[in-house]
Amino acid sequence: MKRLFIIGLILCLVWFTAGCESMKEDGRPKVMVILKTLSSQYWKFVEAGAKEAAKKLNVDVTIVGPSSEAKIDEQISLLEDAITQEPDALVVSPSQPVTVIPAFEMAKKKKIPVLLVDTDADWDDKVTFLGTDNYTAGKKGGEQLASMLKPGDKVAIIAGALGNTAMDHRVKGAKEVLQAKGIKVVAEQPADSDKEKALSVMENILQKNPDIKGVFSANDDMAIGALRALEARKLKIPVIGTDGTIEALESIQAGNLSGTIAQNPYQMGYKGVETALKAIRKEKVSKRIDTGVDVITRKNAQKKMNFLKGLLD
Amino acid sequence: MLDVAGKVSAEKKIAKGFLDKFGALIGLILLSVTLTLLTDKFLTLDNLMNIFRQSSVNCLLAIGMLLTILTAGIDLSVGSILAISTMLMGIVVVKWGMNPILGMAVCLGVGAFFGWLNGILLTKLRLPHPFISTLGTMNIARGLALIVTAAAPIAGFPYMIQFVGREFIGPVPISFLLVIIVYVGFHLFLTRTATGRYIYAIGGNKEAARLSGINVNRVLVIVYTMSGLMAALAGLVMVGRVNSAFPLAGLSYELDAIAAVIIGGASFFGGVGTVWGTMIGALIIAVLRNGLNLLNVSADFQMAVIGFVIITAVFIDVLRQRASKM
Repeated sequence: MKRLFIIGLILCLVWFTAGCESMKEDGRPKVMVILKTLSSQYWKFVEAGAKEAAKKLNVDVTIVGPSSEAKIDEQISLLEDAITQEPDALVVSPSQPVTVIPAFEMAKKKKIPVLLVDTDADWDDKVTFLGTDNYTAGKKGGEQLASMLKPGDKVAIIAGALGNTAMDHRVKGAKEVLQAKGIKVVAEQPADSDKEKALSVMENILQKNPDIKGVFSANDDMAIGALRALEARKLKIPVIGTDGTIEALESIQAGNLSGTIAQNPYQMGYKGVETALKAIRKEKVSKRIDTGVDVITRKNAQKKMNFLKGLLD
Repeated sequence: MLDVAGKVSAEKKIAKGFLDKFGALIGLILLSVTLTLLTDKFLTLDNLMNIFRQSSVNCLLAIGMLLTILTAGIDLSVGSILAISTMLMGIVVVKWGMNPILGMAVCLGVGAFFGWLNGILLTKLRLPHPFISTLGTMNIARGLALIVTAAAPIAGFPYMIQFVGREFIGPVPISFLLVIIVYVGFHLFLTRTATGRYIYAIGGNKEAARLSGINVNRVLVIVYTMSGLMAALAGLVMVGRVNSAFPLAGLSYELDAIAAVIIGGASFFGGVGTVWGTMIGALIIAVLRNGLNLLNVSADFQMAVIGFVIITAVFIDVLRQRASKM
């Protein structure tokens, strides 16, 4: 009997959770947003943007994501189960682009338009890809760093993991601008988007090039790691990161990090839903939508921080 | 008076036996009925086939796990073995361009090897409990999976390898047909062969099994090798499903497999459990996840619900043990 009792309890729990997020079928266009996860800050910003668009544009938006970015096949199950619900459009940010292609083919069979945000996938039938133009982000980072240096200065670049194309584009953009301004890039090393790794990579670079005058990092975490290596050597030189994390903004306000090129996850969410609505209405949509970047320095860090913190509440 | 009391307790016993035997199945049915009432998308052919597909990796891991749990052991390394065997298959097939059939053999061979290693560590090195030996191989295999490509995923497997995890016969996913075949095979193995019966005997009482002339160590090595082999087979299905091999594949899947076995009525203390119970356990987890997805319940909440189900299932097991000892 106990077993039956417990089964009853479980069913009650399912009823209860279902009740919490009851289904709405009210004729509004239905858009399902599947992100890499919902349990980190960056994705909360995307979520906030999508929710705002849902409210403003009167769209029925459901946002889901696995418990962590590493749960790749959980994301695929979510995607399959979203397709089962036959929404009018899907907005997807794939944790690993190749893994979602079979599910996208399923969506295509059911004639559900698919939009990609933040991370692109090599799939011809997508409506569009909305995300940061990483090459431009890198160029702006390079410009920012160059503005704080003079021609002939030596700089180092901290890159992402080998094969991380988004980061490769950032590095390429930064490098081109720096070299065009007569600044020498004497070291370029990957630190796999990892703070600790960036710390040791920066230490090694400093061993070989103690006269470095500036650092560009392909993301903020690595910039902060590199900063620690510089602090340990009591070196005060400009470091520019990319992404615009809250930790980076705090560091900028404290006068440590010189600046960051902030992505716009909020815009990705908002424009993702907005563009999905256009696709549903069969309006013409550009194949690539740039969600823009902001150059953040000590001048505007507080403003950006207020905006982001407001999204998390 | 005595007669009546005897009759009542006999009826109770039958009812209890029925619940023990079919409790998980009743749970699955009730859960499915509930979900059918809650959303009209649940009971559709497409969705049922989705559930079968989504459960097949866990079904394969769980059958290996069942064997180890039947011997009162455990295999924590299945998720990591899944990763290393598929990563090495990726290297052989994608990076070196070798024959896909050879690649599949490598995949299964690597899985069986790590399983065999678990068995040897347990029986020859006499590590005190399989929790320890398989915890060790879990970390070794995961580490190697990350090392071989410096943590990068491998994509671009030939169609032949992706076939099992991706294709359908009519509406039925091939991966689930594979699961059925494997389960029938293990059902026959456990109920019709001497080695199969020995597995139950060892779980019931290891010492008694040894004294009655069973080569306990040999059986244990077979059990862990099979568990490794099943993990590699699950990996093969996974590669087709996610279109790639990646080093963090199967992370913490051992927990889902253990949950399936326990929810399916097997005893953590060994000697009790069936193949079909395990399948129902795996399906309960898959149906729960799928249903909660269809209801758009957040991933965090889902974790909590699944955790609740695991605890209650083990709690039932504890109650049953206590009852049978009284």
